[in-house]
Amino acid sequence: MNNNVLEIENLSRTYMLGKQSINALINLNMHVSKGEFIAIMGPSGSGKSTLLNVIGCIDKPTSGKICLDDIDVTNTPESKLYKIRRNKMGFVFQSFNLLSYLSARENVELPMEGKIKDKTERRKKASELLRLVGLLDRENHRPQKLSQGEQQRVAIARALANDPAIILADEPTGNLDSKNKQEIIKLLANLNLTRGTTIIMVTHDIQVANNTERVLLLKDGNIIKEKEGLHLAKKQNMCPHCKGSIKIYDETCPICNKKLYEIEEFFTI
Amino acid sequence: MGIINRAIKNISKRKIRALLVIVALSISLSIMVSIPAGLMANQKSTNSMAENLSSTITDTSESINQALNQIDVYMSSRYAGFGFNYGDTPPSPQSGDRIIGGNNGNNNDGNPGRYGGFGEGNIPGQFGGINDGATPMNQSLYMDIAEISGVAATVAELEVSQGSKNQTTSMMGQTFTTQITDYTIIGVELKSEFTSNSNYNSLPTNIVNGRNLQADDTGVVLLSQNNSAFFEAGIGDIITILDHEFAIIGIYQPTTALEELVLYMNLSDAQHITENAGYITTLKVYTTSSDSVDFVVAKIRELHSELTVTTGQQRLNQLETLQSTYSDVLENTQSSLAATQATAIQEIIVVVAATSLIVLFVMLYTVRERTKEIGTLKAIGFSNRAVMGQFLLEGLCLSTIAGIIGIVIAIFAAPTFSALLLPSVSSTLGMNAMVAGGTRVSMASVSISVELALFAFGASMLLGVVGTLYPAWRAAKIRPAEAMRYE
Repeated sequence: MNNNVLEIENLSRTYMLGKQSINALINLNMHVSKGEFIAIMGPSGSGKSTLLNVIGCIDKPTSGKICLDDIDVTNTPESKLYKIRRNKMGFVFQSFNLLSYLSARENVELPMEGKIKDKTERRKKASELLRLVGLLDRENHRPQKLSQGEQQRVAIARALANDPAIILADEPTGNLDSKNKQEIIKLLANLNLTRGTTIIMVTHDIQVANNTERVLLLKDGNIIKEKEGLHLAKKQNMCPHCKGSIKIYDETCPICNKKLYEIEEFFTI
Repeated sequence: MGIINRAIKNISKRKIRALLVIVALSISLSIMVSIPAGLMANQKSTNSMAENLSSTITDTSESINQALNQIDVYMSSRYAGFGFNYGDTPPSPQSGDRIIGGNNGNNNDGNPGRYGGFGEGNIPGQFGGINDGATPMNQSLYMDIAEISGVAATVAELEVSQGSKNQTTSMMGQTFTTQITDYTIIGVELKSEFTSNSNYNSLPTNIVNGRNLQADDTGVVLLSQNNSAFFEAGIGDIITILDHEFAIIGIYQPTTALEELVLYMNLSDAQHITENAGYITTLKVYTTSSDSVDFVVAKIRELHSELTVTTGQQRLNQLETLQSTYSDVLENTQSSLAATQATAIQEIIVVVAATSLIVLFVMLYTVRERTKEIGTLKAIGFSNRAVMGQFLLEGLCLSTIAGIIGIVIAIFAAPTFSALLLPSVSSTLGMNAMVAGGTRVSMASVSISVELALFAFGASMLLGVVGTLYPAWRAAKIRPAEAMRYE
């Protein structure tokens, strides 16, 4: 028993595109401990989405080993994989992927259907999660009646439905304007802080990545760089700029007065 | 919020598509129900026709047996055998009132059209076909028959049928116009020695109301119960027949289907109202004993070679011939019914295939359209089985709604659909049934039984599931990673 929620060893994923084989991931190694907030960055075609899909058990590795919460899922057949996705994973997508004919609450209830038999309990939990993301008053709205930021918050509530070990977010801010982008990244950061939810997020956005704990840079199917993000400092109640003491929900450092979620070019891709 | 709720929401989300599918499905389902309903109605009427035939034959042979000493004398027209009303038939008082019997296709047995006029309500015991197309004869020319030794009595009769409605029946590619007989007038010579003697088989015996005709009755009629219903009149009422008023003196219960339409009156009244003064269609000759029948027949033939003479024995023989003809008709009808059944089965197969294909293609399209949704559902932890169940349920919902609507349509449109889809058996049966004495197959009698409705409902649900099986399987096989990329 160790503290790692995810262990990836020598992972490769090869696609066949006609007769040509494309190596999306090559001998990738990666460890994520419980409660980490991680961003994966990288140029298009670097294998970010493939890595996220493999972790999320919706794609299978060609070789290598992948362990989730101490369960080796490398050779788990599809007939059992859905339970792992349901119980261990929470997905947040770039385009939200909410079912348009269901209300916000019904969307949040969806993943619980196979797990919680009691209808009222599901409903209660869904409402609770919507309160958590600040949308309790919108629970009966259909997705198309919600703003894009609100839709993504519903999707995050849905991802939390079964108390997953890991939340996998594929460009969660990709379709959002800067204000909503801030909202979502703050929500994810707070979830990580308050609930200890492990979050692995793929993003193109340096500002977004900067606000995580650890940023991995992927290129040509492997991790080539790793760096600490601002979030780590926040977790340690320490301003990343002046090292002064800060509180979790502070927006600016009370000592040096610098914004704690400031954009900072710290990666050059 | 469950799987059923989601299925219904999904269907109602795509209203026009759902509507089109439901309309297509419900129409094909209603056709599917109407075919067996039509078959059942045909089967039922064939059965009742068979019953009618056998009871008619039994009744008739009984009354013939009772009257072996009765000889019928009449003049047959040259076309009488076929019972066709040719345009060049010499004008006769009843030509306009005749049912035009159809050549039924299976009467190449030397007795063509003997049954042609059977259904038109001739008197019982005087077998139907015999009098068909009879030419009226001048009564005064045949007074000498009564003088033959061995003859106990003669009774003259005039028979005229009256009809108002025409019915067109098509059979074997030909169209026949038949006139439905409303009633048949039989004028009977009313002499006291016949009316009081039950040995003379001229008047009906089972009077249920009022009294029988008596000697010298005039201006009165004896109606069958069916006539009474037709005229909507009872004892003592005055009815108008051919512009003349008659009082109803009695009502009798007909013993055979043939007798149902017959009303009796005094011969002179009948001759007067049909403008046939002095004419008769049949002379019934009663011998003193059945032993003298042969002698009397020979004598009548010697005196009047132009006349047709039939005896009770001959009538029995004819009845046997008729019986075999009838069983041929029945057999023919049954084999035509079997052929129709085969056609019906083919039609049902086509409808079932069409229905399943409609469901199949619509659901395939739906699955394709919802690839992303399916991928999402799988990513958030739906099993293949749950995804498949979702689509099967949607197919089932569509077909259940269509099933209910289809049954409702069928309840109203079954007669039309079965008439359109089962033409051969209905017309053949119609003709044969008419021959059998009035049991006509009416498509209006096609109805949807509760069992049939339940069966159709079950079938529609089954078709919904069968048609959705492959699309649902396809949906279950969608790989979430690929579905995510699908826009």
